[in-house]
Amino acid sequence: MNLKQRFQLSRFITGEKPVDDAIILTHRRIFILPTQRGWAMLLLMVILLLIAFVYNNNLTYLLTFLIASVFFITILHTFKSLAGLVVQAGQTQAVFAGEAAGFDIHIHNPNANERPHCQIKLTKPQSFTLKPYSKTTQTLYSLTQKRGWHSVGTVTVFSTYPLGLFYAWSPLRFNSQTLVYPKPSPLELPFPDSPSADSEQGLSHKGTDDFYGLQEYQAGDSIKHIHWKAFAKGQGLYSKQYSGAKNSAEVWLHYDDAIGHDTEQRLSQLCRWVVDAERADIRYGLVLPTVKLPPDCGSAHYRQCLEALALL
Amino acid sequence: MNTPHYKNILIFLLTSVGLIVLPHVANIPPAMFGFFCLMLGWRFAGIWQPQYLPTTRLLYFLMLFALILLVSHQHRGLLGRDAGTNLFILALGLKLLEIKTERDIYLVVFLAFIVAASLFLYQQSLFMAAYILAVCCVLFATLVAINSIQIHTRAALKTAAVILLQAMPMATVIFVLFPRVEAPRWMLFEEKNKAKIGLSDSMEPGSISDLGTSEELVFRVKFTGAIPPPKYRYWRGPVLSYTDGKRWTQTNSQRFKAQLAKPSYAGTAYSYTLLMEAQEKNWVFALDIPAQYASPLEQNGHYQLINPENPHKRTEYQITSYTQYNTGYLTQLEYQDSTQLPSEPSDKIKQLVSQLHGFDDKPENFISQTLNHFKTEDFHYTLTPPLMEENPIESFLFNTKRGFCSHYASAFVYLMRTAHIPARVVTGYQGGKFNTVGNFLEIQQAHAHAWAEVWIENQGWARVDPTAAVAPERIEQQLDINLLELGSDIRFETSNSQQQENWLKQMSQLWNNADYQWQRWVVNYDSSNQSDFLSSFGIHDFKAMMKWLMALVGLITVLLALLLLYQKKKAIDPALRLYQQFCQKLQPAGLIRTDREGAMDFAQRAKLALPEQTEAIDHITNAFIQLHYGRVSTREDFVTFAKLVGGFKLNDRRLE
Repeated sequence: MNLKQRFQLSRFITGEKPVDDAIILTHRRIFILPTQRGWAMLLLMVILLLIAFVYNNNLTYLLTFLIASVFFITILHTFKSLAGLVVQAGQTQAVFAGEAAGFDIHIHNPNANERPHCQIKLTKPQSFTLKPYSKTTQTLYSLTQKRGWHSVGTVTVFSTYPLGLFYAWSPLRFNSQTLVYPKPSPLELPFPDSPSADSEQGLSHKGTDDFYGLQEYQAGDSIKHIHWKAFAKGQGLYSKQYSGAKNSAEVWLHYDDAIGHDTEQRLSQLCRWVVDAERADIRYGLVLPTVKLPPDCGSAHYRQCLEALALL
Repeated sequence: MNTPHYKNILIFLLTSVGLIVLPHVANIPPAMFGFFCLMLGWRFAGIWQPQYLPTTRLLYFLMLFALILLVSHQHRGLLGRDAGTNLFILALGLKLLEIKTERDIYLVVFLAFIVAASLFLYQQSLFMAAYILAVCCVLFATLVAINSIQIHTRAALKTAAVILLQAMPMATVIFVLFPRVEAPRWMLFEEKNKAKIGLSDSMEPGSISDLGTSEELVFRVKFTGAIPPPKYRYWRGPVLSYTDGKRWTQTNSQRFKAQLAKPSYAGTAYSYTLLMEAQEKNWVFALDIPAQYASPLEQNGHYQLINPENPHKRTEYQITSYTQYNTGYLTQLEYQDSTQLPSEPSDKIKQLVSQLHGFDDKPENFISQTLNHFKTEDFHYTLTPPLMEENPIESFLFNTKRGFCSHYASAFVYLMRTAHIPARVVTGYQGGKFNTVGNFLEIQQAHAHAWAEVWIENQGWARVDPTAAVAPERIEQQLDINLLELGSDIRFETSNSQQQENWLKQMSQLWNNADYQWQRWVVNYDSSNQSDFLSSFGIHDFKAMMKWLMALVGLITVLLALLLLYQKKKAIDPALRLYQQFCQKLQPAGLIRTDREGAMDFAQRAKLALPEQTEAIDHITNAFIQLHYGRVSTREDFVTFAKLVGGFKLNDRRLE
């Protein structure tokens, strides 16, 4: 690191370049400044020194110097409460846009000294303690807004232990990302009756002939099964249930079928359909301008579809 | 903020605040102290019953009340020590009721530190310092507790104590090297010392006996060389020449002779350091009589040392005295002063003087006759002599015959003057308690004494102590104050009881010595002391002082950093080290174990690559897992494992 890099302001606030590996907190990464209370303590020392000076009182001098030394030594103690910690980014979980993404951060104390009070912060600070030679995992949450890859940002490990007079912090950046799915549309729309799925619908219609009964409309029910007559009478939405219809229903979720002014709205609608279909246990396929995923269900397929939506 | 955590912090805080204000009970008006106790008690109750804490309106009312209290007690001015102390204590008390956030707790702690400092303005004893240190530890522990997730009282106290201990070397260095500059006069808030007992500038028979049992320390003396024998330990104070028959006072001639002639000295020179406690008067009690002394000391015409600028605090002086001296001739003025009598002596006294050959013999003979008279007649030495309202000297000499040193001295001088021999009363202290631990003399108020001085041809002023004639033990031995009881005859410590020194006495000597060293080196460490002390290390000027201060603070920081930040890594399991050797042996075959690969996975991979070594790899891997992760492993297991690893070899064939 050259001198210019060493004194870049961003190093103190956002941290150095993101890394994959574990980061060991050393003097290069830990910064320290007095807190507001620390500055107040300095003021206290000035007052005490003034008293000692005016009254020429040696014991007040001694008390002042003792407090000053404690103040000074606290720098070392606060630094010590962070020094040597090994911080590593762990797993992440994909979320829908608008939800908080969770990042696991593993913190390992490889030394014999206890860490009575450290804090870690992404958006909100969390406290933790570490016994000698122990590990902890903290899950940090940050709010997501847009679909796509969301990187963790700057994780700050900090401490004001033991006296709260100094704030030692270490801004860390990891190459840790989480996938953010589009936000499911709040509109509950029936699945599209897509023509592109015709060839396969023959199979699925096999058991749909035997009328079984009516059921209140549930998200994911095919538009074809809606009991329109009842709806027209104002009795509400009902789906016709056919024996054997379960699990065999299949929908094609086509990008062009999704209504919306722009891509995001369409994706949002598609996302909602995917979620509804998965919940209703319906086989669903996804057709996007660039990707085509054949109908299937199950969590792997679900994830695949959402990923495709997130990364379009 | 009402968790158990917070409650604990409050208990911590309130206890330490209470402890810090407690010693002020003697220093502040009772109403203030009561008010503070009320606030503290209220807040304590508030920990468990928060609903009873005062509302904002009530707090304003309390504040107003405190303000009235403050103003009503400020007849001594609005600035200064007492006013400041009162202000801070009331502020602290009020702030206690208003603790809402963590910030308030810090404010209370900081206020408590200021109150701690104000305690030192009243008392600077070693005991007080230790007490404040202990309370500071509790205050810091409060801060530790706030910054901890869970509170373990003992752990917080321990952390605070450790930090304080680590801070001490640095504090000491700064204390020694921090430049002491005298505050400018206008900044000093000098307070009138409270009326203190001590020698006064006049004497009436019996006045000194008021000091008789007071153990209050007046000064301490440490001799650099020889120590004078007890019979020479007279510490000279004011000389009283004028009498109205009852009262003895100083005369104006005292400034006079100082300019004219110096006495001639003989015998041993006694050099000593005299540490005077704060005095109301500017007298410095030197060993009779002082010969060399440094400014600001001055000597008056009565060979008494004076510090014209009475410092009103403990001060140290370097003095050299001689116990054998000749003051030379007598001036006309001195003669007048020292033969003055209020009126013609009564016939009864004249008769006594002539009976003792005062009018027809040499002065020396008359003196010894008079002393002999005290010795042989029925004279007694007592702390509680009968009251002698009218004509005290006559009634003492002929009726009561009981008195303290002042009765004897004044009666003796009166008799001398009746015989036209110049004589005067000298007051001061006599003797002193020898502290064997610290090798110094402690002079207490109880050692106050009065004796006589007679001018004799070719000798000058000579000391005559009539008390010694009546109670020689008073001079030769130490007065044991602990055994003194008013009204009873005075007992003196005999050598027998001295031998039976018990541990209690030794302890008290040890403590007195510690206190002496504390006063001398810490409390009294002023600019002149500092420059003397630092000069002995070759540090002469401000610049050098600053350099040394920086260097030493830096050095201590480095040492502390080494001590604190040295982190012991966990010892690596020897089994792991052997296993790593094994992995290294596999490297030539292109098998490199990654960090995240477990031993089992790696073994799988190795077996695939080296099918002919399957057995060896399995053995080693299993043994390693057993040793490294297993609960029970014996020494033999390890030896076997070591052999296995040692014996493992890649097939040469593969390498070729």
